[in-house]
Amino acid sequence: MRDTAVVSYAQSPCLAANRRDDMADILLPVIRAAVDAVGIERDEIDFYASGSHDFFEGRTFAYIESLDAVGAWPPISESHVEMDAAWAFAEAWSWLQLGQGDIALVYGIGRGSLPQDLDQVMPAQLDPYFLAPLRPHRDAVAGLQACAAIDAGLTSEQHMAEIVSRCLASATENPYAQTSGQVSVHDLLAAPYVSSPLRKHDVSPPGDAAAVVVLAAGDAARRLTARPAWVRAVDHRMDTHYPGMRDLTSSGSTRIAAGRAADLAGFAAADVEVAELHTEYSHQEPLLAMALGLNGAEINPSGGPLAGRPATATGLVRIGEAARQILDGRAGRTLAHATNGPALQHNLVCLLEGAA
Amino acid sequence: MSLPEPVTTMASPFRMDYTYVAGVGRSVFLRGLAERRLLARRCPGCAQVYLPPPEFCSRCLSELEAPFELDGLGAVSTFCVVNFPFPGQTIEPPYVVAYIQVHGAGTRLMHLVREVEPERVRIGMAVEPVWAPDDQLTTSLKSIQHFRPVRGADA
Ligand SMILES: [Zn+2]
Repeated sequence: MRDTAVVSYAQSPCLAANRRDDMADILLPVIRAAVDAVGIERDEIDFYASGSHDFFEGRTFAYIESLDAVGAWPPISESHVEMDAAWAFAEAWSWLQLGQGDIALVYGIGRGSLPQDLDQVMPAQLDPYFLAPLRPHRDAVAGLQACAAIDAGLTSEQHMAEIVSRCLASATENPYAQTSGQVSVHDLLAAPYVSSPLRKHDVSPPGDAAAVVVLAAGDAARRLTARPAWVRAVDHRMDTHYPGMRDLTSSGSTRIAAGRAADLAGFAAADVEVAELHTEYSHQEPLLAMALGLNGAEINPSGGPLAGRPATATGLVRIGEAARQILDGRAGRTLAHATNGPALQHNLVCLLEGAA
Repeated sequence: MSLPEPVTTMASPFRMDYTYVAGVGRSVFLRGLAERRLLARRCPGCAQVYLPPPEFCSRCLSELEAPFELDGLGAVSTFCVVNFPFPGQTIEPPYVVAYIQVHGAGTRLMHLVREVEPERVRIGMAVEPVWAPDDQLTTSLKSIQHFRPVRGADA
């Protein structure tokens, strides 16, 4: 396997609604920050990969607008995924593995604020014949999962509130967080339900932001930064489309992805010090920790998605944050998890390591 | 015993409402339209003039210069004649859709060409904007009803 590392990461602040900037305006300063941090010019970048989704933007081929911030004049190698940008990261990493170039830039941009009502949009991701016609609201499937997780003894409403309290407190250190603060578990449990047993704070707040990761291979990575975050493994697996076919209390696809990633990396999720998990809902943290086999890792020191969930950038933010722990010399081994689809349907696991 | 006929269709209509965020650059252009002004912006790096202008040049990534007004006179740079009906159509076919090269702009504007028989439209034809009446001016390209041949110009 070719040694490939995250050498730079930047993001824009998560906003509940950015009504000032278009897609390119949000993205441009973030690309500048990520590129300037490692002192490279645009023409040194061999490959661009991005993730966004037209259903959040309300336009076809919406991401083309973001290419204005790339400087996308031919010749350019460029690709896009219509999903969370963590999968654009997987594509760029694979592209570098093939040896076609040395430096790749991955960006995710998402605006959860553009749909005037996410309840109109989110059912479109469900099985179109047997589920979408029922028009479950945006948090309904997650509510079923949370209820089943509590019944299975994996968590409790008290435990979920503790997770939220911890994440929001951690997010006070994160200048890009959408929401943060010192909130007592008692106060959280007094809030009304939005999709029982989920309360508002159990649902990660959707919003608008962009994230950029620069990947580099071998000597290019060593040249660009003192402490590259080497990507030792990326794997992703998908559960069946219809949630009724799944045991919602165990994420088999996460477990398989974690196992394959461990085989590739030579170390496992149990060995990492920090894990950034794409928890769209609080109850998913213990579920994912179990499926991954975490063993005492600090979870979501950035505050995680419960402090801000920019559409289709949240998974890439997890990779960026997990890498930042290594780039900044705070951890030796970290894990990033990203998800796509309802109730953890599709899951990606990335293992990172500091030592060359 | 044979199975009943399979189900072959299922209606599941979606409706989705969105907010459009024009951005700082395109907002300048859209607000201009509501005042019967075509506002363009030039790149300080490559001198490209954008109409409509975004906030920065997609070639140089430089912030564009201050907006300035164009009179809207231009030429048909290419066109097609729409001959078929479709749902939601507001104009009876046949009608002309064209790229307008507005003089002074480096990019082209897409709009209708009317007040002329479709078979008389030519590439290079001099055209001018027909602005909407005051009470219909808005932050949209609908503030220009269409373009038409310049009277007296060589068609
Ligand atoms: Zn320029």
